[in-house]
Amino acid sequence: MTDMAKATLPIDLGSGPFAVTTRGLAKRFGSVRALDGLDLQVPEGAVYVLVGPNGAGKSTLIRTLMGLVRYQAGSVSVLGRDPGGRGAEVRASVGYVPEDYRFGYAWMTVGRLLEHHAAYHPSWDAEYARELSTRYEIDPGRKCHTLSKGQSRRVQLVLALAHRPPLLLLDEPTDGLDHVVRDETLSILSEHLADSPTTVVISTHRVYEVEPLVDHVGVLSDGRLLGQLPRDELRGGLLRYWADVPEGWRAPSDLGGRVVRRSGAARGIEWTVWGDRDAVTRDLSEAGAAVREVAPLSVDEAAVALLSGKEAS
Amino acid sequence: MKIRLSHADGRPLYVQIMDAVRSGLVRGSLRPEDPLPSVRELSSSLRVNPRTVSQAYAALERDGVVWVRHGKGTFVAPGVRPEEKERPRLAREVARRALADASRHGLALADLMVALREVDAQDGRKEDGR
Repeated sequence: MTDMAKATLPIDLGSGPFAVTTRGLAKRFGSVRALDGLDLQVPEGAVYVLVGPNGAGKSTLIRTLMGLVRYQAGSVSVLGRDPGGRGAEVRASVGYVPEDYRFGYAWMTVGRLLEHHAAYHPSWDAEYARELSTRYEIDPGRKCHTLSKGQSRRVQLVLALAHRPPLLLLDEPTDGLDHVVRDETLSILSEHLADSPTTVVISTHRVYEVEPLVDHVGVLSDGRLLGQLPRDELRGGLLRYWADVPEGWRAPSDLGGRVVRRSGAARGIEWTVWGDRDAVTRDLSEAGAAVREVAPLSVDEAAVALLSGKEAS
Repeated sequence: MKIRLSHADGRPLYVQIMDAVRSGLVRGSLRPEDPLPSVRELSSSLRVNPRTVSQAYAALERDGVVWVRHGKGTFVAPGVRPEEKERPRLAREVARRALADASRHGLALADLMVALREVDAQDGRKEDGR
């Protein structure tokens, strides 16, 4: 079964064009289903954030898109190519920041590593690479194996961005960076988006950090999507309702929306509902609840509501 | 132009950018024909998606607040009269937020009006800003 049948929120983004799609994508490690019928859709030009708890399958998904993990069922298309058979072509056209910060070429100096990448990517923008290296205070004379986690991350970001690829796959891109460098990275990404037409997929635990950059959200849990939709639709459709209710109030069985999470005290409820704002408010009022406030959720809050709601059902 | 975005704010980011431009006009820090920062500059300094800034500028252009000179950038429209349009508009926006906040705390318009006059009388006239 694919996600279409089980998601809590919509996951169908329509007919595209998409930079990345997967259909019924499945990957097992032994008895563990890392990806379980996943239907990813990343529209061209989107900045798509992938949210989910540890072990949800985020890194496995990104590694599968890069052709670094072999999938067992379903289909994958990255910039029109199947990374299962054309992994090298996919890797040449994608800017990738891996979860792991160690380099394959540990003995190389950073300068040599940059040259190596420049030769590999015909679209390498040497001036941009220099500018980024300066902003990130990268020392080209250092040997890769002597770099700290944060220094490696900075080099990886330069390697991913400097060939101005049509697609960026960023797995925890700010992991290991200090506050100032994280902030600088967000500024660099904003400028990069203004200068180069790019589709971006970001997997991160610091969703609040990238939230202002993001226009699409996918919530992943146990290898499947609980929701995949434009940020604006999430903002407009998934809302938190605070209402005063009489003692012993019984919730209406039918509401103009789907209740994702219920909480609250004896005479006040706090519900997170996916549905039309006016319809939900009307149904709550008709059932005797006095709606005090309706507010959109941050992506973080939305993810928590979806993930904890899933555990409750 | 000073803009601070708040993610706790219920307004979408592009609306916050629009309100910041309007507020600049009302304060006088932005005047007719002043240039606005480029989309690239503003998105970089706010760490937001450039499309969000473009969306705000496009909506402001539809409202006649700014105009785009091709190849030169975005400017405050020459005919903007902040006192006639932007000031009342911004005041309504602030009122809407205050009312929503009051209602969240179980207060009615009358409670809010009384409290506004009282607080204003106690703290002296501060509406011109500090």
